[in-house]
Amino acid sequence: MATNPTQYAHPEALVETDWLEKHLKDEGIRIVESNEDVLLYDTGHIPGAVHIDWRADLQDQVIRDYITPEKFAELCSKNGITPDTTCIFYGDKANWWACYALWAFRLFGHEKVKVLNGGRDKWKAEGRPMTKERSTYPRANYSVPKKRFDKEIRAFADEALAQSKAKKPLIDVRSPGEFKGEVTHMPEYPQEGVLRGGHIPGAKSMPWKTATNEDNTFKSAPELAKIYFDQCGVKAGTDTVVYCRIGERSSHTWFVLTYLLGLDNVRNYDGSWTEWGNKVGAPIEKGA
Amino acid sequence: MYPTKLNKIIHLFETLPEDERRETIVSYAENAKKQEPRKDEQFDLVDVRKDEECMDTVGVYLHVDENGKAQIRMTLGPEVQTLTRAMTAILCKGLEGCTPQEILDLPSDFVTRIVGAELVRIRSQTIYYVLTRIKGICSRPTQSKRMRSARCGALRARRPRYPAETTSGVKFCLFRLFSPAQDAAE
Repeated sequence: MATNPTQYAHPEALVETDWLEKHLKDEGIRIVESNEDVLLYDTGHIPGAVHIDWRADLQDQVIRDYITPEKFAELCSKNGITPDTTCIFYGDKANWWACYALWAFRLFGHEKVKVLNGGRDKWKAEGRPMTKERSTYPRANYSVPKKRFDKEIRAFADEALAQSKAKKPLIDVRSPGEFKGEVTHMPEYPQEGVLRGGHIPGAKSMPWKTATNEDNTFKSAPELAKIYFDQCGVKAGTDTVVYCRIGERSSHTWFVLTYLLGLDNVRNYDGSWTEWGNKVGAPIEKGA
Repeated sequence: MYPTKLNKIIHLFETLPEDERRETIVSYAENAKKQEPRKDEQFDLVDVRKDEECMDTVGVYLHVDENGKAQIRMTLGPEVQTLTRAMTAILCKGLEGCTPQEILDLPSDFVTRIVGAELVRIRSQTIYYVLTRIKGICSRPTQSKRMRSARCGALRARRPRYPAETTSGVKFCLFRLFSPAQDAAE
């Protein structure tokens, strides 16, 4: 990984809208829409896209955790996805939830993943085709993943604490107000209740949106390098942990660091502030 | 218990299977634009909020007529969620002809009967948002002397009304609406 890159480390992890429109019917790909707005897919989506709901499909409905490998295999099978299928994720909010779904797929070891650069908003703004027809595919046979890659790409609270104590890179991608502890959630959003505001000691504030352009596409490699290497102190070979409030915005940053800047040791602390801010005895810093 | 129009909508949703319920919700969402203020309509109160983080603007416009009946209009920013759009259309239609007090007295339990258990579970706060905003603006007439007078028509004669399409009018309204000190002084 270059510290001063001129191009993305894994440019193949992105597809552009123009490319996708020409390859909608390609064999071996599955377009996956994942949104914050749970009904958005029903209002119209990219032809052929299937809908995977981050909460209903990817999360366990009782315990705060992700689905089991068995359920993941079933989710993929019913959407006609095999381990060889290239899943192209896109969604609303500049691909927050698309990146979250992609990260969850990686948790189960699904390697062929890409993101539609600019997401749903760019596709729509460019007047590209949309349909309300729900896409169905012949059932596939996705073998049950042998493990979940929690250790590799996911951080838990004790690991975030260790990261903080070791003064290793810890990036808080929430808004500045949330970081400072002035607010504990975003206005008007579904409220994941948090008792305390602030941030994990030692965390650097770098809101997720810093990585995007106005049209929701990702910034260039040199721009991203400046943001994360120069301003956040992220380095190759050093563990980095990213977090937000429930792990969706930080999935976006995780994608940037892992695929666009090529770091191979980035973990997403998905418990994030809704865990940390409620955790008895968890150390908190307030202010900028 | 519920206003007649709202009751009909509730009943319709309760008879639908889940997939048709979702389709009907989306259909209502697509018609939310019809609830925007129309040209030349004037309002007693306007509450437009743009939230920095979520990029959503939701405007609630209240007109109370000579008979004390409320008319609600709403504007929604492009990022407003589908469920919120649907609830906007449902509530603007369902509450047509109610008084502000009737709207304030409305229990919120009907919302779950409209959107169904699954959406309630995954969007438990969003579904109440529009109702909360509508109740918020309806609470103003009962809280301030100024709007109590407005309800009787007295203040309308001496206070300029706020044309919906006038941006400066909306800003002025916002100032008035969110200025407790000013309300107290009045």
